[in-house]
Amino acid sequence: MTRRLFALALTLLGVSVIVFLLVHLAPGDPVRIMLGEQARPADVERLNRIYGFDQPLPVQYLKWLGNALRGDLGVSIRSQTPVVELVGQRLPATVELAIASLVLAVLIGIPLGVLAAMTRNSVIDLASMVVALVGVAAPNFWIGLILLSGVAANVSWVPVFGRGPGFLAAIGTFVTSLDVKPLFDSVRHLLLPSIAVGASIMALITRLTRSQLLEVLNLDYVRTARAKGVRDLRVVFKHALRNAMVPVVTIIGVQFGALLGGAIVTEVVFAWPGIGRLIVDSISQRDFPVVQGSILMLAAVFVVANLLVDLSYSLINPRIRYA
Amino acid sequence: MNRITKLLGALALGLVLGAASAQTTLVVGTVAEASDLDPRTTYDVYSYQRMYPIMEPLLVFNTDLSYQPRLAERWEWADDASSITFYLRQGVKFHHGREFTAEDVKYTFEWMLNPENPAANPGLYEDIKQVEIIDPYTVRFHLSGENAFIMNYIARLHIVPADLGENPDFGRNPVGTGPFVFESWTRDDKMVLRAFDDYWGGRAQVDVVEFRPIPEDATRLLAFEAGEIDLYHGQVVSSALPRLEQNPNYVVQRTTGLGHAYVGMNLRHPVLADVRVRQAISHLLPREAIVARIYQGVGSVGLGPISPDTVFFNPDAPQYDYDIERARELLAEAGVESLKVRLHTNENPVRPQIAEVLMFEALKVGIEIEIFVEEFGAFIDRIMDTDTADFDLFILGWSGNVDPNYAMYELFHTNGGSNYTAYSNPALDELLDLGRKLPPNSPESIEVYREAQAILMADAPFAFINNTEEVGLNQAYVQGWEIHPYTSATFQDLHKVTKER
Repeated sequence: MTRRLFALALTLLGVSVIVFLLVHLAPGDPVRIMLGEQARPADVERLNRIYGFDQPLPVQYLKWLGNALRGDLGVSIRSQTPVVELVGQRLPATVELAIASLVLAVLIGIPLGVLAAMTRNSVIDLASMVVALVGVAAPNFWIGLILLSGVAANVSWVPVFGRGPGFLAAIGTFVTSLDVKPLFDSVRHLLLPSIAVGASIMALITRLTRSQLLEVLNLDYVRTARAKGVRDLRVVFKHALRNAMVPVVTIIGVQFGALLGGAIVTEVVFAWPGIGRLIVDSISQRDFPVVQGSILMLAAVFVVANLLVDLSYSLINPRIRYA
Repeated sequence: MNRITKLLGALALGLVLGAASAQTTLVVGTVAEASDLDPRTTYDVYSYQRMYPIMEPLLVFNTDLSYQPRLAERWEWADDASSITFYLRQGVKFHHGREFTAEDVKYTFEWMLNPENPAANPGLYEDIKQVEIIDPYTVRFHLSGENAFIMNYIARLHIVPADLGENPDFGRNPVGTGPFVFESWTRDDKMVLRAFDDYWGGRAQVDVVEFRPIPEDATRLLAFEAGEIDLYHGQVVSSALPRLEQNPNYVVQRTTGLGHAYVGMNLRHPVLADVRVRQAISHLLPREAIVARIYQGVGSVGLGPISPDTVFFNPDAPQYDYDIERARELLAEAGVESLKVRLHTNENPVRPQIAEVLMFEALKVGIEIEIFVEEFGAFIDRIMDTDTADFDLFILGWSGNVDPNYAMYELFHTNGGSNYTAYSNPALDELLDLGRKLPPNSPESIEVYREAQAILMADAPFAFINNTEEVGLNQAYVQGWEIHPYTSATFQDLHKVTKER
């Protein structure tokens, strides 16, 4: 475990160097972009001096790293807002969308995969595989646009854009005052974006569940169970599915990590105030502190999520153990 | 009380409260999120749009670009134009309750001019030598007399309260004298403003204004059509305009804009240094087709740096119609048989398309154009880096042309800060310098800028592509909003807007 934590720290240090170099070495000057085509050379020079961009790169990096180690990720050039605050504002929206998409993907994907495996080569199997194929192949933003023009434009209670009240806060309101309105508002805003983001993950999970389950169903212990006269459903759910789930859980973990980086295009399409928009905007504005800080924070979340997934294997399969 | 009674009770209470607190909320869609609401350090249009209802300048532009008094009731130029005196409106309150006085004006402008402060564009104000307080309601700006258009820049700077201006949080928690009080801001989601009861111009008609950034054009339009937003300005899907204009539930507003797109030519290039080659390239642009097809009928053909709707526009300056034959003649005169040039632009929905049209037309006269589409940051770095000047042709735009000095000086004066083409003509420099010293809008001033346009158009360092048009949409039940050609100021009269559904 200590070794893993050490590796984790080293990974983050590596990320910090790479991100720093990438944003600073790429062409593009934050002040020129901020002032636009009407930037005057004198203003560009003055602002670069005030923000400290005229100093040598190693000096800038060490300064930034020193502050980051003390928990200070700097202040956005554009909005003069602490990076931690900018990320903190978006994180709930991103996590909410990530979880909703995954829940949707798991709730549909696993049963569909099981169904397909159990009815292998039947029409049901074929249909679910076609659904999965479309889900994998269609880009998120396209699904998003189709949902917008097909559903949101015609169904009055499904909103076109934006986020409602935070889901957790809405649950809190419901518990304390029995008011369902915020909860309903939160869910109806989540509906389309989570379908758009979740579709491809759902497809992935369906296919993986099916293939893993088919493999496990051919193993000796399953044959033994069947020979003992255990019923089909019981074989699948009690004996096979658990073992088939290991790679599926891996995928869910990895996808969750990826989703925390924000479903960038979907966020733009639905005007979802998530972290992807923050990062893309700050990259195009060369808002160095924001790009560096938010990517470092996301990397940290990602590495930790992966660690948790690894640890969870031993819960599913006790034979897997970590030192 | 059992659970169901409780639930019903809560519902009933909700209904009663809902009815009692009925308030009008105006939902304004925008193309992008604001970066910051400090007028001193911010430069982008979307920040300014949100600032106008919260904070006010001394004066603002009417939609015909004439001046409208705001925090100043009137002003007076000294006879020798060496100073301008503003007589401030009395009894104006900031949102935190303090009265607005000359101190605030002095503080704001002096902050801009202090080189240690991260002001975005202090160059606009460097003509102000001193700000003198005559009395709490009178303030005098002493000027160097180098730029007669200083009023236009004063009209773009919102007054910051002197007691709060040093607060590092000011841009995120702004306080002004405007008709709406800043209430809350969740970035990329929603900014909420509430009507200011003590606004000097009378309380706003709506109670709450919500700004909702919706980056995707198609989504913004759908949100408008679904009634989720009440109005928005800019980036209206052009192909939808005919349909929207037919619909009695919507109002489509269109007005001539203050910007243009152009093909810039690097005069450091040995062949492009020949004016005949530049004129030939200018003749290659099928401007009418570009406006009709690529801009889908929004905007007009580019006739020069100055908006054709203003008095300074010179209708007699040389123009370059789409004329392949003439281009061929000019190239022959210049002795150019074949030419290979690069054309850089950024990934913008229309510029790469225009680049392709130009490439196709240029082939007809033996000019081979290679197109490079770059990300904006990299592109602007290439164009602005005058040391390397590593480009031949480029497509870029210019906006906010409220006066001819702003439209021409920085771009075309030899010492202009945005003169990326390295164009230089002493005759033009002289006129542009002179124009800054003449009384604005005087016959002499108009004459000078008309002559300047004639020289510029003959020299053709730019091939002007279009003149922009501003497009806004509002629901028919929203009244009193007029889109502004100066896009930053489009919400300066939001307090007059009513919403009755």
